[in-house]
Amino acid sequence: MNKRRTTWEWPVIIVVGAFFIVPMLAMTRFAMQRVPMSLLGRKTIFSRWTIRGLMNTISDDKFQPAFFMSVRLGIVTVLLVLALLLPTVLWLHLRAMRWKILAEIVSLLAYVVPPIALVVGVSGAYRDTVPWIVSSNYGLVPLYAILCLPFAYRTLDVGFAALDLNTLVNASRSLGASWQQTFRKVLIPNLRTAILTTSFLAFAVVIGEFAISSLLLKRTLPTYMLEAQGREPQGAMGVALLLLVLTTVLFMALGRIQKKSPTSSSQEIRITP
Amino acid sequence: MSEVDFLLGFPLPQEENVIGGPVGSRASTTFGRWSPSLVLPLLPYFIFVGLFLLVPTVVLFTKAFRPVTGATTSAMVEAMNASNRSSFMFSLKISFFSAVLGAIIGFLFALAASRIERPRRLRNLVTGFSGVAANLGGIPLAFAFIASLGAQGLFTRVLYHNGIDLYGAGFKIYDFWGIVVVYLYFQIPLMLLVMLPAIDGLRPTWREAAINIGASSSQYWRRVGLPILTPSLLGGTLLLFANAFSAYATAYALSSGGSRLVPVQIRFYLQGNTITGKGNLGYALAAWMVLILLFVMIGYLLLRRRAERWRAA
Repeated sequence: MNKRRTTWEWPVIIVVGAFFIVPMLAMTRFAMQRVPMSLLGRKTIFSRWTIRGLMNTISDDKFQPAFFMSVRLGIVTVLLVLALLLPTVLWLHLRAMRWKILAEIVSLLAYVVPPIALVVGVSGAYRDTVPWIVSSNYGLVPLYAILCLPFAYRTLDVGFAALDLNTLVNASRSLGASWQQTFRKVLIPNLRTAILTTSFLAFAVVIGEFAISSLLLKRTLPTYMLEAQGREPQGAMGVALLLLVLTTVLFMALGRIQKKSPTSSSQEIRITP
Repeated sequence: MSEVDFLLGFPLPQEENVIGGPVGSRASTTFGRWSPSLVLPLLPYFIFVGLFLLVPTVVLFTKAFRPVTGATTSAMVEAMNASNRSSFMFSLKISFFSAVLGAIIGFLFALAASRIERPRRLRNLVTGFSGVAANLGGIPLAFAFIASLGAQGLFTRVLYHNGIDLYGAGFKIYDFWGIVVVYLYFQIPLMLLVMLPAIDGLRPTWREAAINIGASSSQYWRRVGLPILTPSLLGGTLLLFANAFSAYATAYALSSGGSRLVPVQIRFYLQGNTITGKGNLGYALAAWMVLILLFVMIGYLLLRRRAERWRAA
C-alpha cells in the first residue's frame, strides 16, 4: 500500500477558506468600526468599535416595517407551501404514484423561469385583471411559494419516501382515527425533519429575496437595505450582517435537526400518544 | 438571492424508490383509470402552479413574440439586436467564467476536504459552511464584497499597502471580473456540495484494483477516477452556469443598478415601458433567458442521470 501524503490539500483548504472568511471580517469591520479605511493600521485596529450605526438603522422608522414585512411574508409563505404540498405529496405517495413524475417536473419548472422572468410574466398576465397580485404586499406570497417549490417538493418527497406510508395510514385508520387525526398525530410527527427543513429553507429564501420585491417596488428587508446604504452605509452593512448571522443560525439549527432525524438514522417510526 | 442553488444547495437524505416504490397502490397502476376521486386531491397543486407559473410563462412568450411599437419584426428578434446582444454576451460570459472557475476550485476544494482525515470535524465544518454559503447571495453578499474588495475595501487596502494596486490596474467590483469573483462565493460551495457525494462514490476497491495491475496514482486518476467523475463535473458546471445566469440581486447591488447584465436590462425596459413603448423588449429578453435556462437544465438533468450510473444501490 502506498502511504497517502497530504501535500496540496491543506493549502487549498486554507486559501479557499480565507476567500470565504475575509469578506465576512471586512463586513464586520465596516459595520462596527468608525475608523476610515485610510487610517486603519496596527495602532487603530482595536479603536472605536461601536454598534451605533446598526442601532441608528434599527431605530429608523422605516426599518421595522420592512423587517416585519419580510418576517410576515416568510411565515405566510411557509404556511402556504406546506398547506399546498403536504396533502399533494401525501396523496401522490399513497394513491397516485403515476402522477408523481408530472408533479415533480412541474415543480422543477421554477428553475427554468428565473425570478426576474417570473415577475415579468406575472405582472404581464395579471396587472390588468387581478391587480392585487402586483399592488398588495401579500401578492408576493404566491410568487415566493413558486420560488420555494422545487426544493420544498423534493424535501417533502424524500421525507414521505422514507416512511412506510401505507402501513402507517392503514394502521391509524383501522384504529378508528379520522384523516385529520392521522395527519396530525401520525404523519406530521414522522415528517418533522422534512417539514422543518422545508420551512427553514423557505423562510431563508423569503427573508433575503430581492429581485421580485424590488421590481414590484415593495418595502421588504433587502430592498430597505439597499436603499439605506445610500443614507447610512454603516447601518445598512450592520443590518446585512445581522441577516447573515440570522440565516447562518437557521442553517446550523437545521443541520442539527437533520442529524437527529429518524429518516437518516433508522426506520424507526414515532407516533405521538 | 440566486435561486437555482437550492437544487442541490443543502444536503438531503438519500432518495430511494422515486418511482414505483413499495408505497404505490394498486389503484393507480394504469394510466387509464384516473377517476375524479383520484385526481381531485392533486388539483390545488396543479392549479396553483398553472396560475402562478405556467400562465405567466405563456403570457411572457406571447408578449415576447409581438412586435415592439413602431417595428414589424417580433420583439424576440429585436431583443437580439446589437446592444441587447452585447448584454446577453456579458451575462453569458460572466456565467461561463464563474461556472468554470467555480467548478474547478470547488472540485479541488471537495477533493481536499475528502482526503484530509486528521481533524475529523473539518469535513463537517466544510459541508456545513458550504450549505450556508451556497445559499448566500443577494444584498448581504454584495455588501460583504464592497467592504472587502470595493475601492475602499479592507482587502483592496491590504493589497495596496503591499504594492498591488487593484483599482489602478482597472479592477472594479461591479465590472466583469469583480462580479465573477463575487459569484465564486456561492459557486464554489455549491460545486463542493455537488461533488462530495460523487467523490465518496469512488470506491477504494477501484483504486486498489488499478494499483494492483501496476497503475500509478496519476494513471488511476487519468484513466479511472476522472472519467467516472466527468458527468458529475460537467453537470455541476451546468448547474453553476444556470445559477449565475439567473442571479440578479448581487450584481444589481454591486453596480447600484447600472450593470449590463440581462436581468438588469429587463428591469430597465419594463420600468420605462410607458415612455419608450419598448415594454415588449423586456418580455423578449426574459423569454430568451427562459429558453437558455431550459437548455442548460435539460443538459444538467441528463448528465446527472448518467452520473448516477456508477452509484450502485
